[in-house]
Amino acid sequence: MITAENLTRKFKDITAVENISFDINESEIFGFLGPNGAGKTTTIRMLSTLISPDSGKITIDNKDSKIHGEYIRTITGLLTESPGMYEKISAYDNLKYYSSFYNIPDHKINNNIEKYLKMFDLWDRKDDIAGTYSKGMKQKLALSRALIHEPKILLLDEPTAGLDPESAHMVRNFIDSLKKEKTTVFLCTHNLEEASNLSDRVCIIKKKVIRIATLSELQSGERGKRAQIVFSDDADRYVKLMKELSEIKNIQTDKNKATLVIENPDVSNPKVIKKLVDSGAKIIYFNQIKASLEEIYLDLIRDEGAK
Amino acid sequence: MKNAGIIFKKEIKEIIKNKNIWVPILIITIIFSISLPLGFILGSTPILEDEDTLNFITKVFGQVDDPLRVLIGFILKQLLIFLLMLPAMVPSLIAPASIIMEKENNTLEPLLATPVKTSELLLGKSLTALVPTFIISTINFIILVIVVDISAYIKLGYMPLPTIEWVIVAFLLSPILSFIITMASVIVSSKSTDIRSAQGIGAVIILPIYLIIGLQLAGFFLLNITYLLIGCAVLLLICPFVLRLAVRVFDRENILTRWKMKA
Repeated sequence: MITAENLTRKFKDITAVENISFDINESEIFGFLGPNGAGKTTTIRMLSTLISPDSGKITIDNKDSKIHGEYIRTITGLLTESPGMYEKISAYDNLKYYSSFYNIPDHKINNNIEKYLKMFDLWDRKDDIAGTYSKGMKQKLALSRALIHEPKILLLDEPTAGLDPESAHMVRNFIDSLKKEKTTVFLCTHNLEEASNLSDRVCIIKKKVIRIATLSELQSGERGKRAQIVFSDDADRYVKLMKELSEIKNIQTDKNKATLVIENPDVSNPKVIKKLVDSGAKIIYFNQIKASLEEIYLDLIRDEGAK
Repeated sequence: MKNAGIIFKKEIKEIIKNKNIWVPILIITIIFSISLPLGFILGSTPILEDEDTLNFITKVFGQVDDPLRVLIGFILKQLLIFLLMLPAMVPSLIAPASIIMEKENNTLEPLLATPVKTSELLLGKSLTALVPTFIISTINFIILVIVVDISAYIKLGYMPLPTIEWVIVAFLLSPILSFIITMASVIVSSKSTDIRSAQGIGAVIILPIYLIIGLQLAGFFLLNITYLLIGCAVLLLICPFVLRLAVRVFDRENILTRWKMKA
């Protein structure tokens, strides 16, 4: 649905993104992660044809963004970093205004406005001027605006920023539900738990693409090979024994706990446990530690910074 | 161009609600289109009792049979220049307000993410300044003509307006001037983040108009058809340049990357 090939964009002497490439499939939720200044907003602006790349090519729905910018803008909905609403007109009129730029029949516009304002609990205040809305309400209104023309592709820049936990939960559920409607979602977020729960794949960038993978692919990395063993007695007693096992690459102990890095855990874990038990180790429990996206993200960003 | 119409319609609704724009226009109209001509024409008889005024008329117009008629003719030439005030002032109030409100509300990015073309956005914004200016200037022209004609009829028994010079100013020079001021305001607004600074710079842009008004009032020249047509021709030559500059400033990339935006 979206193909970005070798995108580079500079602003004077500053390189915002360099040579980034990715493919996003139809109805996929693609998490786009990176620290501040990593190039997320520049990328989302290029995808929404607001700015052009200096080099590289974007293809959306099989159309070159340089040639078919107007078409691409009709099939994409953009939630910008700042909600940006006309403060002196009503929420309803805000949505009506934006939706009038798309070729949608009037009755459909009215239905969609009602649908999304009701969905985000704003219907009762539809006639209030947007300037009286709280930050969270404006964010929900901005999300309604991005959805009002029922786009095939949704480009979301921090969709739950400024929302209370209940509203954020509602928005996340909604984003998740978009999969069923075959909507492709490009999700820029700092909320790694949100990215981890919603995304089919994540792309971690810091001006360049560091990694594109599913969460399970990321977890199969070095951090995903960690296991924790809790012994009934001091773990240090078993260090020498564990060091003899070729599957174990790294051992750290703390009282009766040992944290290990075990190569090929699916195969090796049972072997390790058996050998330890056979050698007299009293194991209370064994736990494969699944790395969180946050840990993986921080590792990758740190590694990139060290280069 | 349908989208330009949508932008225009929405902007006009907001402009109508904006007292900061309407109050100065109303004050200018009351002062320069009603009070001033009424005062000048109805109060012309006492002015003629002053020996200096009669000497001035003789010096400028030679010996005349009806000094009152000549004086009122002279006053009308002076009032003519005031017709340029609103066409210069109104776009410098509306255009920056219309653009800077977008910046203050951070609405430009979501607006540009719709299928709207930047040319439609520029046209919509320009019409927002130009159409009310033309309507206001025409209403002002009608009010001024009615006030002058009624007061002149009371004093002299005839209605001197409209003359060809007044028609040229109202329907040729004023629209050209409004267009240039609108484009200049668009350019200025791209560099400002608050309405006051944009309107402050806008006031500087229209300074040459006030200078012309001041020079005529000071007696340096008196507008006639030749001067007016030369003025129109010169301003018409400037139009393509300011338009080209405004179009360049109003480019999608420029707006998002080079415009001074509110943080």
